[in-house]
Amino acid sequence: MSLPSPLLDKTSDRAMSRRSFLRGTAAFGGLTALAASLSPLRELSDFTSTDQFLQKYYKELTPDDMTKVIKRIEGDVQRQYGIRPHVRDLKPMDGVEFVYCLNLTRCIGCRKCVHACVAENNQSRNPEIQYIRVLKLPHGSLDLEKADHTYAPESVPEKGFFYMPVQCQQCKNPPCVKVCPVNATWQESDGITVIDYDWCIGCRYCEAACPYFARRFNFAQPEIPKDKINPDMAYLGNRPRKMGVMEKCHFCIQRTRVGRYPACLEVCPVGARKFGNILDPESEVSYILREKRVFIQLKEEIGTSPRFFYYFDK
Amino acid sequence: MDHRAPPPAGSSDRRTNLWLAGLTIGFLAMTALFLSDGRSHAAPKPGIPPVDAKFLETTPWRQTYTDLVKAKEDLSDYDCYSCHEKNKPPPIRFDANHKILIPKEHKNIVMGHGSHDRNDLCYNCHNEQNLVTFQVRDGRELKFDNLPPLCGSCHGPTYRDWEAGAHGRTGGFWDRSKGEAQRLSCANCHDPHAPHIPTRPPAPGPHPLHAVDAAPAQPNSAP
Repeated sequence: MSLPSPLLDKTSDRAMSRRSFLRGTAAFGGLTALAASLSPLRELSDFTSTDQFLQKYYKELTPDDMTKVIKRIEGDVQRQYGIRPHVRDLKPMDGVEFVYCLNLTRCIGCRKCVHACVAENNQSRNPEIQYIRVLKLPHGSLDLEKADHTYAPESVPEKGFFYMPVQCQQCKNPPCVKVCPVNATWQESDGITVIDYDWCIGCRYCEAACPYFARRFNFAQPEIPKDKINPDMAYLGNRPRKMGVMEKCHFCIQRTRVGRYPACLEVCPVGARKFGNILDPESEVSYILREKRVFIQLKEEIGTSPRFFYYFDK
Repeated sequence: MDHRAPPPAGSSDRRTNLWLAGLTIGFLAMTALFLSDGRSHAAPKPGIPPVDAKFLETTPWRQTYTDLVKAKEDLSDYDCYSCHEKNKPPPIRFDANHKILIPKEHKNIVMGHGSHDRNDLCYNCHNEQNLVTFQVRDGRELKFDNLPPLCGSCHGPTYRDWEAGAHGRTGGFWDRSKGEAQRLSCANCHDPHAPHIPTRPPAPGPHPLHAVDAAPAQPNSAP
């Protein structure tokens, strides 16, 4: 029965009440927070098309589906980089199993292979993604703990050191394939372990499982200068990746599956890199494994059985 | 009940209204700021300079006689008898330490074939009887465009590996049914007078993902 206080009276009539002010502020703040939380969507404009979102698993794609997928990828690349690529879905060849041999006596650590690989495989320039890491090791040891990969002397090779480039070893028994929860990475019949970039969920289990630090993750949107795009692309190979997926060396599928040598081999100035079909007894790699002092598969004691062999001359 | 004195009417109202107006304008300003430039800014990425195109080149750094013939380039350097006389082998001169003296006409030649002076003799390979050919130790005479057997006469295992494709750079096609592999001759990579491959600056190493304050340490630089 008490009379409304003059203060309440005043505020309810003329000014805003405390409650409605708080309610208004909360509503406004809530809306702002919602908008802020949705703001990343504005950057997604041409990120995931419906076609890409609904795309089936690589192994379930019919040839017709594949044609459509390739068209979609070509369109995406053209929109993003202004260049019409030639994307192919290359299948493994019959009677071919690839093996890589690297001559540690010859390697001078010039890192040309690293950059030829980046250019060939449309790897992000910033943040930098490189499939090959060249380790500098002191003579007389193979202790990877002593390896230095940031060496920058005036000239190479340096006295007292040897150089060991490490990239995906294309294991016969690949731990990365075993841990993938969605089968987005698998081993093909020619020995290349491939990744379906559209199926990868970016969990990075494979990166953790790989004993060779061969897999790279796209933490950010890859950045490739438009004039540096290599238009000769393969679905499982060097087509541009997106943020949040894994990638790694695939023995240059777009080259090797049409009979060419990988880019890192062609650029090697000292001929330290040898590549070929191990099932062909006449091939260079067969000759090397038969005749040369092939001394390691890297970390062979862990049973991954790499298809990448390091050897010495003499 | 209400013991508080009613606030002086006009001034309190005005203050409340001013506060509310101020807050509203503040929120509106923040909204405008968010809408105009709302995305969260990551720390600026460290700039990574593009790699020098010379590191991507796949051509060998030397041209052999065969390459010059193919490219129809000037072969006058190989025309020995434009200066030398036929049937008169040019003599080799030595200094006091039995090191070979290179005549000034051949100043571009640096001798450094192996570690022993006996390897730095012109007529180990060149044929003094016919300067436009090579001579192999076993008496064979080879033309300028047929170098590998000459080198192979001393470097047997290397020659064997080269023939099998295991020594030397390659390129082109591993699958010979699809195309040709690029084969290079000894002199495409090795200077026959000083065959050791010279050292060179390495291509830039990996950059760290995040900007670092201090320059990356460079341990084990050349002693």
